Amino acid sequence: MGLLLPILLTAGAPLRAEAPVSKEYQVKAVFLFNFAQFVQWPPKSFTSAGDPFYIGILGEDPFDAFLDETVKGEKVDGHPLVIRRYGNVEEATGCQILFISRSEAGRMADILSSLKGRNILTVADSGNFIENGGVVYFVTEGKKIHFKISLEAAKQAKLTISSQVLRLAQIAGPGKE
Amino acid sequence: MRGCKKNLAFLSLIFCSFCFSPAGAQVPNPFPTPSPTPSPTPLATSNGPMSSLKKMSLEELMNLDVTSVSKQPEPFGQAPAAINVITNDAIRRSGASSIPEALRLADNLEVAKASSSGWDITARGFNTGLANKLLVLMDGRTLYSPLDSGVFWNVQDYLLEDIDRIEVVSGPGGTLWGANAVNGVINITSKDAKDTQGAYVEGGGGTQPQDFGGIRYGGKLDADVYYRFYGKYFDGANEVLVDGSNAGDPWRMGQGGFRIDDEGDSQNHFTLQGDIYDSAVSSTAGDGESAGGNVLGRWSHNISADSDLSLQLYYDHTYFNAPKTQAHLGPFVSAPAGVFADSLETYDLDFQHHFHWDGANNFIWGLGCRITHDLVTPAPSLTFQPTLLDQGLFSFFAQDEFELGNDLFLTAGSKVEHNDYTGYEFEPSGRLKWNLAEAQMVWAAVSRAVRMPSRIDHDLEEPTPNLVPFGIKELLIGGSDFESETVVTYELGYRAQLAKEFSTSISTFFNNYSDIRSTSSTPSGPLGLLPLYFQNNLEAQTGGVEWTVDYQVLEGWRMHAGYDLLQENVWVKPGQTDLNNALNETADPKNQVFVRSSMDLPGDLELDPAFRWVDSLTYNYNAGVPGVVPSYAELDLRLAWHPIKDIEISVTGQNLLHDYHLEYAAGGPFEEIQRSVYGKLACRF
Repeated sequence: MGLLLPILLTAGAPLRAEAPVSKEYQVKAVFLFNFAQFVQWPPKSFTSAGDPFYIGILGEDPFDAFLDETVKGEKVDGHPLVIRRYGNVEEATGCQILFISRSEAGRMADILSSLKGRNILTVADSGNFIENGGVVYFVTEGKKIHFKISLEAAKQAKLTISSQVLRLAQIAGPGKE
Repeated sequence: MRGCKKNLAFLSLIFCSFCFSPAGAQVPNPFPTPSPTPSPTPLATSNGPMSSLKKMSLEELMNLDVTSVSKQPEPFGQAPAAINVITNDAIRRSGASSIPEALRLADNLEVAKASSSGWDITARGFNTGLANKLLVLMDGRTLYSPLDSGVFWNVQDYLLEDIDRIEVVSGPGGTLWGANAVNGVINITSKDAKDTQGAYVEGGGGTQPQDFGGIRYGGKLDADVYYRFYGKYFDGANEVLVDGSNAGDPWRMGQGGFRIDDEGDSQNHFTLQGDIYDSAVSSTAGDGESAGGNVLGRWSHNISADSDLSLQLYYDHTYFNAPKTQAHLGPFVSAPAGVFADSLETYDLDFQHHFHWDGANNFIWGLGCRITHDLVTPAPSLTFQPTLLDQGLFSFFAQDEFELGNDLFLTAGSKVEHNDYTGYEFEPSGRLKWNLAEAQMVWAAVSRAVRMPSRIDHDLEEPTPNLVPFGIKELLIGGSDFESETVVTYELGYRAQLAKEFSTSISTFFNNYSDIRSTSSTPSGPLGLLPLYFQNNLEAQTGGVEWTVDYQVLEGWRMHAGYDLLQENVWVKPGQTDLNNALNETADPKNQVFVRSSMDLPGDLELDPAFRWVDSLTYNYNAGVPGVVPSYAELDLRLAWHPIKDIEISVTGQNLLHDYHLEYAAGGPFEEIQRSVYGKLACRF
């Protein structure tokens, strides 16, 4: 019976009828924005102090304009956040965070192997991601979004993830699962 | 304990009032429920989903429910109902040390503390004795007692740190929740075990509670299987009598429990949880004990993105015993002292299925079955007949929400319930929601709800064994033909996020009640009066307003204000009688005002004052002669310091404006609530 209330209360259509993106991806977009602040990239990732910080989306974009709105006007250590959309992985090698869309789930192993050695925080919510060397994997648990982090993959990409993120994550890795 | 004590207090009240006026007819007012209130506390203030999400911490993001079809961060913001949500953070910052204290954060409730362990809580009026028109759930487990339809608040406890939220709906919820959701529904939800990983320890003490401690540890059993277990105890100090002398009613309680959540895949979620408790309370009549436990299992399954179901089964056992002093009828002892006890076992099965259909319909239906096994151990002056009773409650409900036109939505449905006393009961409702502009909503509802008879209405007996030689067998008995009380409620509300920092909600209601409990006499019996018995001879109309405002003054400073208006009119049906002159079912303030501030100060300090003003309330002093509890104003204040992130040191002062004040009266002797201060240390690691 306790479940009824949330269902009842959330059953309605949104007040903002124009909101185009599912809440799931709104929250994931804000997570990506947070990751930009809680992860440290090696200094060589940027050639100059004012270089953009790129968050890339590989494959079909589930965020619509929401991710762009989220990072609009935001900076990380002086680097303005910029969203890039990529059709194939070769274009994506210059970004700092790469969200790999569900449309690419079947090619996860190939995509991740071609990113090996890059200083990229790879993020996905589909496919055999962690097993193939991805870093952050979104899981929907119950009704909430949680994430798994592969410390080994983060280490290979030379990324330092804040303990504020790690303590909330499930630690996973190719060797663990 | 409080509960049982109160319950007995009520019964003895009936009796006592009678002995005060042996010739007169008086009868107590067995159960109340009351109160008006306003509504919502936004979970996040924002003028759009993005800005509010961006302000959230990672923890908050992880706690958002994202499965809803809704695209709003504040799902309850869209509910076409008068709803307040009390968050975990609000509870922590209030300094509340118990669930009833935390309920003071819901503006749409009346919360009155009647003794050290006794609380009277209701929504929209009818708060006498034990409020009987409220449905209260803890993680899906029903808390009201079929003995009298009231909630024994003294044994409803939890480690507050692990409560996720408390949703308080004022107004009927019978269509979804069924019996007893007449004036409101309180839904207490504990955190998922996944969200309570690691160790948490708290402890402290002061004048009230005198000392307390709690501990929780959460870990993983398997990759996606999380658990926690917890234990807590407290020693509650006595309160005082009207003259300031010690009321001699200290109480203490211990509770422990566990919760396991298996979140192995996104399709299925299994929960298994349980608690046990033991509580002791003293009174002038002697010492009493309450004890109980429960275990609950739930399976939630996502069939697809548009369809999910859940199946829940629980078992609950509660026991209490309470001393009864010898009873009197006028100058005569009618029954010797003794001990009354009640042992209740509940088996409950609930199923529900929710799906979208045809793109435009949001449909939910479900089935429920509850079996209760209640065994009363009589005291000489109090029993229920039969002492052993098995009952079954079976229910079905269905509800659909669909779009009528642009931005206009209708939710319609009904519950059908079968109980052993009155057979089938119907609880339909229709709710209309109109999104009239961005972040503004107008809603309206018409609902019918039912309070089916409880054992006290039907099976109560107050024997007078000493007076049997004089032909007097009982003082008060239940009504063998007692019917369900019903209400038809009309509601109209408006809720809006008018600016990024400013939101408000206003709910209005008009309630039309039929067949409210009354007390009749037996003119052909002894003294031309006895036994007294319950009937349904009252009708009532109530109306009111519940208004809340939330304002984010600065980044770390938030203000909240709430106001309730409640007008009640209760009368005896033409040609019928009530020994209490229609006074016994209500003891409610006409006006309530709440003002709270929540401020983050430099140096990792938090300062949270909470002011409330509660109007006077009129209660049944004796056989329809009114008594009055004066209005009062009180202030709570909490100051907390976080020397490092996972340590919190706090001092909470409650009811600071007076040495002691009266909040409620029914039965007697009345107890007043003292100013209190306690300190607390909480660590997480």
